Amino acid sequence: MRKQQQKAKFEGGGLILFQEVPHAMAAEKVLKSLGYTVKLVAPPPQLRKGCDLAVEINLVEQPGIERVLRENDLAYVGIDPIRVKTAPLLDIVKVTDFGDWIMVKAGNMKITYEKASGVIVNVSGGGCPDIPYLHAELIDKRLDEAPRPKDLGFTLCALNLDRAFDECLTLYLKGNKK
Amino acid sequence: MLVVGTVPIRDMPLTIGKVTADGECLVISDRRIPCTQGTGAMISAALATTSYLGLDPPYALLVGDIGEGKGSRQLYQYLIDHIVELSPAVLTLHYWLPDMAQTRQLCAVIEKCKKRPVMIADAASMYSAKAAGLAEAFDIFTPDATEIAFLADPEATHPAYIAKHLFDTDISRAPELARLAYKNHGAAKLLLVKGATDYIIRKGEVLATVTEPDVPALEPIGGTGDTITGLVSAFTYAGLELYEAAIIAARANRMAGKYTRVTPATRVRQIIAQFPSVFKDYLCQWSNVCHGKGGN
Repeated sequence: MRKQQQKAKFEGGGLILFQEVPHAMAAEKVLKSLGYTVKLVAPPPQLRKGCDLAVEINLVEQPGIERVLRENDLAYVGIDPIRVKTAPLLDIVKVTDFGDWIMVKAGNMKITYEKASGVIVNVSGGGCPDIPYLHAELIDKRLDEAPRPKDLGFTLCALNLDRAFDECLTLYLKGNKK
Repeated sequence: MLVVGTVPIRDMPLTIGKVTADGECLVISDRRIPCTQGTGAMISAALATTSYLGLDPPYALLVGDIGEGKGSRQLYQYLIDHIVELSPAVLTLHYWLPDMAQTRQLCAVIEKCKKRPVMIADAASMYSAKAAGLAEAFDIFTPDATEIAFLADPEATHPAYIAKHLFDTDISRAPELARLAYKNHGAAKLLLVKGATDYIIRKGEVLATVTEPDVPALEPIGGTGDTITGLVSAFTYAGLELYEAAIIAARANRMAGKYTRVTPATRVRQIIAQFPSVFKDYLCQWSNVCHGKGGN
């Protein structure tokens, strides 16, 4: 008989912080019902912003989880990485001009669109499972008609992609007004 | 060679089997997988290489996951339960939802394999290995300019949370960041850092750089990093030393971009289609591998 594998101990890397204990308990219940792996924990003193109960999450899933909290009117104070020395979310955006095309890079994600039409021609970078899905959903669509990555994606890669998308849209709309 | 990752097909169940090509798709156990950015591009590049060399095609373990994580968790668990009996010569881990605890469990089980596989990680498999403090258990990572900064940052568990002073899109900082990554135990034994210059780095020392041909339009094309990982995997499976496989992969990817005359709007499958021609023209010169089936 095969030996039963020991269940892995959850290591999420992120904490949802709440003002009130019942909010934390309600959030845990909703997230678990949707298949997220989460755990009620006491936040370390240096991260405590409200009550002394938090929900540990897989930090990579932050954008999808924030969407669930919003859609279910679950009040929370914020989401922070557990490692207290972790830097804040990157907000650096870099633009590269390829002649007929513009590439915008935000963190580990890049979107490239055609200047004349605003059509997204490529999405690159990242490594989370929603990125190939978003690639398929965005390619060949105009920036002002395409879905937002933050509305379809679930992970931090999708969040970075949305930042790149936002900058692309701003640049494209600005270019059209000239 | 076992290649593992998620594909963007909602609800596709866990699927394992030999990979074949059919037009613009991959076929595994009668399921068609698009050859697009992500695991599909990685496997397509590996398959193009094994086909040219007349080797067995890659064995793939895939599951549908569009970011919700359910499929990824099934992948981890299948590997944890079966990797010892599968015992591949080369194990390439690619797109999935990073999970530190399951990565830790997987790495512990892999130590029980009779012969430890050559372990290759890219994309979020690299993120989870680094975040779990297990980077050094891997033989090669294939990061880009942003991801090498992530590997260098001891606190970051995802490239979205890199310290600003480390983040740089300029690839010329790669050697410095790689040294930091090795110091902080965030690097695999070998690194292939992909960018305008490709760096092959071991223990902080730059073994080789690849700069030619210079094809800047490769950067915007989704999947051109994934193809490098597939090429490294297949050349390693073919018996080349890992650093040689990395150098040839970097060269072949660039040359295929040149052959395709890429623009930022090119699709990765067009580049993959050029690999047999690149191998035929250059592989013997680059590697002394002169007996490819496709080369006759």
